[in-house]
Amino acid sequence: MFPTPIARTKPWIQRTYKWLLPIALILWLLPLIGIAVTSIRPSSDLAAGNYFGWPSGFDFIKNYSAVFENSNIGWYILNSFKVTIPTVIGAVALSCLTGYALAVYKFKGNLLVFFMFVAGNFVPFQILAIPVRDLTLKLGMYNTTTGLVLFHVAFQTGFCTLFMRNFIKGLPFALIESARVEGVNEWKIFWHIVMPLMRPAIAALSVLIFTFIWNDYFWATIMAQDASVRPVTAGMNELKGQWKVAWELIAAASIVAALPPVAMFFLMQKHFIAGLTLGATKG
Amino acid sequence: MATVTLQNAKKSFGDAHIIKGVDLQIADGEFCVFVGPSGCGKSTLLRMIAGLEEITSGSLQIGGKEMATVEPADRGVAMVFQSYALYPHMTVRDNIGFGLRMTGHDKADIEKRTKRAADMLQLGPMMERKPSQLSGGQRQRVAIGRAIVREPDVFLFDEPLSNLDAALRVQMRTEIGKLHQDLKTTMIYVTHDQVEAMTMADKIVVLQSGIIEQVGAPLDLYHRPNNLFVAGFIGSPKMNFIKTTASPGAKGKINVALPGGGRIVLDGKGASVSENQQVTLGVRPEHVLVDAAGDAKLKGSLKLAEYLGSETMFYLALEDGSDFSVKADGLAKAANNATMSVGLPGNACHLFDASGKTILNGSLLD
Repeated sequence: MFPTPIARTKPWIQRTYKWLLPIALILWLLPLIGIAVTSIRPSSDLAAGNYFGWPSGFDFIKNYSAVFENSNIGWYILNSFKVTIPTVIGAVALSCLTGYALAVYKFKGNLLVFFMFVAGNFVPFQILAIPVRDLTLKLGMYNTTTGLVLFHVAFQTGFCTLFMRNFIKGLPFALIESARVEGVNEWKIFWHIVMPLMRPAIAALSVLIFTFIWNDYFWATIMAQDASVRPVTAGMNELKGQWKVAWELIAAASIVAALPPVAMFFLMQKHFIAGLTLGATKG
Repeated sequence: MATVTLQNAKKSFGDAHIIKGVDLQIADGEFCVFVGPSGCGKSTLLRMIAGLEEITSGSLQIGGKEMATVEPADRGVAMVFQSYALYPHMTVRDNIGFGLRMTGHDKADIEKRTKRAADMLQLGPMMERKPSQLSGGQRQRVAIGRAIVREPDVFLFDEPLSNLDAALRVQMRTEIGKLHQDLKTTMIYVTHDQVEAMTMADKIVVLQSGIIEQVGAPLDLYHRPNNLFVAGFIGSPKMNFIKTTASPGAKGKINVALPGGGRIVLDGKGASVSENQQVTLGVRPEHVLVDAAGDAKLKGSLKLAEYLGSETMFYLALEDGSDFSVKADGLAKAANNATMSVGLPGNACHLFDASGKTILNGSLLD
């Protein structure tokens, strides 16, 4: 059997494995543990230079309530939702359509269009910062949620199209042909046959894009100046304090801000059904 | 109910010519089978009739109407795919009714037609199951049911049984045959399995590299192949071919030289050969006589014997080294490397010229 189960290997390998695995795990989680521990530290610890040691006290309630009292984090989280949810819906819906078109229809320039979607991903987005800011200013969308959403949709659709097109290409084409012979029109084929089978892809992509957009800091600071549209990643700045940086509050705010993507993952998890097309063809 | 007529139908993908001009007439209610080796274009031809592949040039008529540029849905055809192509997220009932639902049939009508198809195929107990909960044979039945409810003029089957195991294949074969008897609809069936072709077809179309080699009733093709390809393709085990020479004999007879120095005299039946013409002599393994009767004898050493119970296959090497197989009675026995003498009946021999065209067919069917 390959790989050989650890329990059947030589003792020294077993010992090494038992030591190495937790170490690797802790190393991997270290940044997260650091943030989590900092978020419950009293501010005096940080002032005294106790960054990584055992906390002198546990100010869980104090720190977390301070996050909500000292800043408009609730408002910023709402802003984040206002940007993220329309972006996820927009980018995923659009890429379902583009992916379907590129995967199912043969037309001149199909590959060219597809490559352009893919090539868009290779442009480093930082070099677009100034042109995009100018463009949104001219369009009157600077500092608006709509501007951020439209921009994110445009930027994410390339990757989403790549993802969706390849997923649809993997579906048995006979299903579409069979429906065509039955006289089902193309739109209904898309809606009643392809869309239900794309559920796992839509779920995976939604979680991915949700996390991308939720965690975006770059565009949030470039395209949103006002507190009224600022998403949580940029809004957290407010907790910095006027004279000293309140790291314990920023850490607590980070944890709060990270919860929605995590929740999103668990919500969508049941849709990641492997082998949804099982039984469609011979299998 | 409809006839299907193809006139000089061609299909090419760029420079690759897949179907090179097919003329074919399929009568109303006929069960027509396309056979041929892989890549001969039989599936492409079927897909051209279905409308899934565009016809590059030529004409296709279904029920007398020109269909070459008509959408698949409007051709009055229903197709059963090799892979079944069931919608995995729908129950059997929804799978069968889907096409009707999407094309605006009323509920009662869908219900009635679905029930009829389900009864015909004994799908009753599994109507609420998903395709993943069905066995291969059941899935195939659902796929056929989906075709039946559309009440098409022409059924198209694209190697529908090739994913099933041997026992199931035999069972489904008879079921499709029965279906054809019940519905009396024109059916076109693609297969590479010649047993399916022989048992089910009213008419077999043998294709090779995009060209029709021969069209005819199963036994016609078996006994009177037009050329070397059809002779070799139809019939299993394959017909024996001996490359040799032939010369005209007395009274319209043809003398064919045999390996090892002998000769066989065939009744020319009007066919003629020139002096020492290069020919191929063909004789089916099942027509060779092991008791060494017959009109001429062949000697060979036994290389391999397969005892199948119902029959025994002897594989010989003739004196000139060529292979020769013999299908004998199940009780026949011979030792390996023993020299065997077998008899050729003249009326079972076929003669082909150097280009592969038939000069003379056997007269077993006459």
